[in-house]
Amino acid sequence: MIRVEDLWRTYQMGDHALHALRGVSETIEDGEYVAIMGPSGSGKSTLLNLLGCLDSPSRGRYFLAEEDVAGLADDELAETRLRRIGFIFQSFHLVPRLSAVQNVEMPMIFAGTTPAERRERAEASLASVGLSDRIHHRPNELSGGQKQRVAIARAIVMNPGLLLADEPTGNLDSRSGAQVLDLLAELHGGGRTLVVVTHDPAVARRADRVVVMRDGVILKRVAGDQVTDLGSLFEDLPPEESELAAGEASP
Amino acid sequence: MSPRDLFGFAGDALLQNRRRSALSLLGVVIGVVAVVTLTAIGEGALRYVTTQFASLGSSLVNVSPGKNETSGGMPHGIGGVPNDLTIQDAIVLERRIPSVRTAMPVSISTDTISYRERGRSVPIVGATADFQRIQKLDLAMGEFLPESELDRGGSVVVLGHTVAKELFDEKNPLGSKVRIGSWRMRVIGVLQEKGHQLGMDIDETVIIPTASGMRMANKSSLNRIMLELLPRADPDETIARVKELLIERHDEEDFTCISQDAVLESLSSILGILTMVVAGIASVSLAVAGIGIMNVMLVSVFERTDEVGLLKAVGANQRQILQIFLLEAILLSSAGGALGLIAGTILVYLGNLFYPAVDMVTPLWAVGAVTALSLGTGVVFGVLPAWRASRLDPVAALQGH
Repeated sequence: MIRVEDLWRTYQMGDHALHALRGVSETIEDGEYVAIMGPSGSGKSTLLNLLGCLDSPSRGRYFLAEEDVAGLADDELAETRLRRIGFIFQSFHLVPRLSAVQNVEMPMIFAGTTPAERRERAEASLASVGLSDRIHHRPNELSGGQKQRVAIARAIVMNPGLLLADEPTGNLDSRSGAQVLDLLAELHGGGRTLVVVTHDPAVARRADRVVVMRDGVILKRVAGDQVTDLGSLFEDLPPEESELAAGEASP
Repeated sequence: MSPRDLFGFAGDALLQNRRRSALSLLGVVIGVVAVVTLTAIGEGALRYVTTQFASLGSSLVNVSPGKNETSGGMPHGIGGVPNDLTIQDAIVLERRIPSVRTAMPVSISTDTISYRERGRSVPIVGATADFQRIQKLDLAMGEFLPESELDRGGSVVVLGHTVAKELFDEKNPLGSKVRIGSWRMRVIGVLQEKGHQLGMDIDETVIIPTASGMRMANKSSLNRIMLELLPRADPDETIARVKELLIERHDEEDFTCISQDAVLESLSSILGILTMVVAGIASVSLAVAGIGIMNVMLVSVFERTDEVGLLKAVGANQRQILQIFLLEAILLSSAGGALGLIAGTILVYLGNLFYPAVDMVTPLWAVGAVTALSLGTGVVFGVLPAWRASRLDPVAALQGH
């Protein structure tokens, strides 16, 4: 279970403070599939980075399986990312000079896995995303959809309980986007917690639950199958109510 | 992260950018080559001087006119001296100091030697019969100057190898009369080819009796008295006796008395210091090369910011990222060091082929120092870029900032 309480993230821009998150509280159950939606600047990516331990909150608490990770030191955060979290990015972030299998092996290098076991697990992981025939290809020899599948293979190779995806289909055409979403759904079906940031209703619809954000706060939560388009999510919520909505969101 | 993975990762990154890696490595190569070759030349010079002195064999003491003469080695002209250094001085030194085996008065002048219509300006060395033994000269034909009283001259001459060839071609010069200045001298011997010895080309000289040389050049003072000591004689004690005797005769210390060993010692230490200084200057170029490496690494970190962000996202900690980038810098500098050692060794080898007289060898301390320095360069100048990479904020780095 993931639980955040009154999470704030403030950036100091010169002499004024920019609040990217303003008191977000949320609980995500193990094995849940949650989409975070909102316009740009709503704080959804900031929230995802905090959930992924890439960033530390300015204020508030973050419990990952009952452990408070908000106060962890840098090395402990790195260890948490290594063992418990898998990232999938919009722009794939594959290392261009490494082959697909080498990219997938990378987290295991930092974990100190032996080369033989590493290769075996990386190949198995690539097989599970349907890329057994592409393991020695460099990223520039792969299509966008294949690159994202390599990235997914890398995200799951350490078998983390939590997968975080930031606009995973943002750079893909609709067909490979759908393939990637199918793959994510499959992984979720395997019992992993999945949090996806998106502004694409088609992505959000596949989630169990959609968290809608604007201006650094959570406006409301809806079931995934109720999402039609982004605009409709904000129709019933005038801007001045956003503070109130944030207050109500606190458990 | 195992060392093997670390090397693999850093090596891959360097190979990815071959040209830039090669250019930054070149700086280290040049620095190392400079140290390797310059110290080899210094060491070669030292060996050259040492063997030259060793070729003179038994321990020698030189007395030359004037105070504070520092050049040492072979006799040469010097003027403006209050009291002349005379053949008589040499005779007294030989007779009155037991540890002196031989005293040899030496004069040097330059004059024209001619045979028929061929002439040549050469250094004229005035010496005695002992000169052959002390300078280890071998005769190609004829004989050397005859044994006689030191103050007895004679109209005989021994020709250096080149001089004999120039004047006589293939003819046998023995017994022929040559003209030196206005003197007619009989050729009694020709030296074997010898080359340079302590800064003088023996092949280009002619040797006549000292007394004749003095009269011929109208000189009143010798250029030098060379004292050959008995085996196991103490040079310092002998020098003290020489000073005592000559001061008695001259009423003042208007001469310089120095042992060959002392000259060798001071020359060696000067050459040693020179080698160190030159090596030090060359090492500065390694520091400059280090700045090149730092620059390349900073650019590399900048270009691979998103990669660093990714490494952090998949779980690399700060220490691991520091290690990766630091190892890249060390690999660069040590590869440069290794290439520099190889290139420098080849250069020294070629140098020895072209100048066999100087036995150039890079001293071991220089090899050690330069290896340590190039490794150290990578560490010192790699730390800052690597530290920067390790401290990047993962969120910003992933966005390429």
